[in-house]
Amino acid sequence: MLKKLKEKAENAANKALDKKADDAVGNNGNNNNGGTNGSGPSGGNNGPKYGKPSNKGGAGLVSAPPDVNENLASAETAFKGNNLSDARYAVQQAMLGVELQIGQNILKSLPATIAGLKKDSMQDQVTSTGWGWAGLTIQRVYVQGDKQFTLTVANNSMWMQAINMYLTNSGYAQNTGGQQNWKQVKIKGYRAVIEYNDNTGYKLSVPLGQSSILIFEGINFASEQDMMNAANQVDIDGIKKSLGEK
Amino acid sequence: MKKIYFVSLALFSVVMVSAQDFTKRLSEARTSYAAGKLDDSRFAMQQMLQELDILTGKEVLKLLPQKMLDQSVRAGQDNVSGASGFVGVLIHREYGGKAAYDSTAIQLDIISNSPLIGTINALLSLPFGMGSNPDQKIVKVNGYKALLSKTSGSNDKPEFELQLPLNNSLITLKAPGRSQDDILKAANTLPVSDIAKLTQ
Repeated sequence: MLKKLKEKAENAANKALDKKADDAVGNNGNNNNGGTNGSGPSGGNNGPKYGKPSNKGGAGLVSAPPDVNENLASAETAFKGNNLSDARYAVQQAMLGVELQIGQNILKSLPATIAGLKKDSMQDQVTSTGWGWAGLTIQRVYVQGDKQFTLTVANNSMWMQAINMYLTNSGYAQNTGGQQNWKQVKIKGYRAVIEYNDNTGYKLSVPLGQSSILIFEGINFASEQDMMNAANQVDIDGIKKSLGEK
Repeated sequence: MKKIYFVSLALFSVVMVSAQDFTKRLSEARTSYAAGKLDDSRFAMQQMLQELDILTGKEVLKLLPQKMLDQSVRAGQDNVSGASGFVGVLIHREYGGKAAYDSTAIQLDIISNSPLIGTINALLSLPFGMGSNPDQKIVKVNGYKALLSKTSGSNDKPEFELQLPLNNSLITLKAPGRSQDDILKAANTLPVSDIAKLTQ
């Protein structure tokens, strides 16, 4: 609601600015090169009189993943022609295609509901950079009302190094006194770290194999046990296998 | 002369082996993909990228000058290594004397395909940022913008380091004991546009 109010205020401010600009341009109209008499590039009297036209539509971008076989063939051709830069690009595109497919397969394997929350398919995301820095990330959101459960899978990512530091550093072991905001737990036999923050809720991080990590985030979950019960509904072994981890 | 011949032969052999490795990995990638083993296919492609980066590194070494200022290349120190996609491929060359270790050798490092390079590019694109650090200035090397930094030497004598970013590759030149003018003169012997074409 606040967002809508803000948008309305911005639109009103823009309209006021447009009117002032129109008045100013109308006074100097004879000195400009074109588009000052109400028939600018966008056409008709509804378009802006002084600036670029506003976009009214387009086909967007092609969202199909790169064709893996096609790109491998391009890489082979470029390599034989000693064009290493093009070969590299083609291999990166092929890797991108494969990673996106891995991501889509994992999303398909996830349950439709978790802890009574339904998946929000519009927020399903698979991201790949085509190289090993940030690697492959997959996200699925389950939501009902103000309760939300988010699952993020990060493969070939540097994130898991931070979590492994938690698990191997005794300084991050459970404390006996004071507010406990993080601790080590186990989920389906995997060592993990659970954190809690009053503003962001629960976060459970599970390193998988050598280069992957699973992160569960729970907003408005009543207790740690509720959060763990939700996370236990995910087939962690299946995800690990899909990522090729041991 | 004989030494150069054997070093070239060794280098050529490595290049041939790498080419075969690339073809082998390509075949593995195709076979695994066709069998639905996506992770194996991806692993093979990562190996292919690694091979390409090593081959590119060796091609870059061939482009570099044999002499810089008054120093000859220390061929035994040439190196191409790294982990593509994580910290990039490191190409290293030195120019200096014949001793096993030469503290005054000119050192040239090129990190290619590294995601860590973005910060230098950001510094170079700031119109006002340079004024706040008196030890840094933007210079041009063969038409490319670079960052020249003053660093402390071993006897508190100022030394200079030049960093030239090319999208996601970075050329770093260090010349211990040399002046600003010397390091710029050395940098201008680099075929930057040819290196850019190979590493982009």
